[in-house]
Amino acid sequence: MKNEDNLNELLLSWENTYKKGQLTLWIFMALQESRKYVDEIKSFIEKKSNGTISCEEQSLYRALRKYEHINVLTFELKEGNKGPERKYYSLTNLGQELFKQFVNRNIKLFYSEEIKNILKLNDQ
Amino acid sequence: MKTITLYLMRFALTVTILTILFRYFLSYGIENLSGIIITLSAGIYGILTFVAGWYFGRKDGEYLPIFDVGFRFHLTTFLIHNGISLLWIGFGFGSKSENLNAPIMGAIIWSVFLLIHFIFYLWARRNSIHNLNKEDIFE
Repeated sequence: MKNEDNLNELLLSWENTYKKGQLTLWIFMALQESRKYVDEIKSFIEKKSNGTISCEEQSLYRALRKYEHINVLTFELKEGNKGPERKYYSLTNLGQELFKQFVNRNIKLFYSEEIKNILKLNDQ
Repeated sequence: MKTITLYLMRFALTVTILTILFRYFLSYGIENLSGIIITLSAGIYGILTFVAGWYFGRKDGEYLPIFDVGFRFHLTTFLIHNGISLLWIGFGFGSKSENLNAPIMGAIIWSVFLLIHFIFYLWARRNSIHNLNKEDIFE
């Protein structure tokens, strides 16, 4: 029992560190799939990450403002089903290229046979 | 590129109001030879301007963390303070003993500090992309 507690504690500590810096990737993945407004981005992240990545709306808005400022995403105002107009965000050409290169350099390496074997992904 | 933000505009409006009030009380104090009014108006003006800069600067950073080491707020204060001071005396709102020499000298001395701040701003820009700190862009 003590070992299990220790393992859980270590796992949580590692995950907390690992998750820092993940929000950008998840936002980009959400927008790579299709253009979305904030609530849709938020639920995409929470759903697709199996709830392991949670993002507060304020952090999401702040991140989106920054990405808009550096021209990696843009938005279009469209009327929602009810209520005021919504900002539908999408990746710009620069954003698409940035995402592509980031994935090529940092994500694809996990899909080599060698790494998959080390991660024991083929056994599952 | 968005550098004139909503919070910078609110700060500019606050400083404009504070500077007009300061100029009024300063000229009144000089006219009536009241050291207390002169000292109090300058002190209160300095403190309130600092508090406004701190408050709106913090809000501005939360909205969009523009990495300018406070230069935009300093430049705004410089332009508003000296602009209003020159116009105030130029249009004859000052006391009889005030002339344009004092605000011109003040602006010249201040511009040296502004220039030093500008050098720090240029240095900070080397670590930024589109005026955002490279370390702060991605989360």
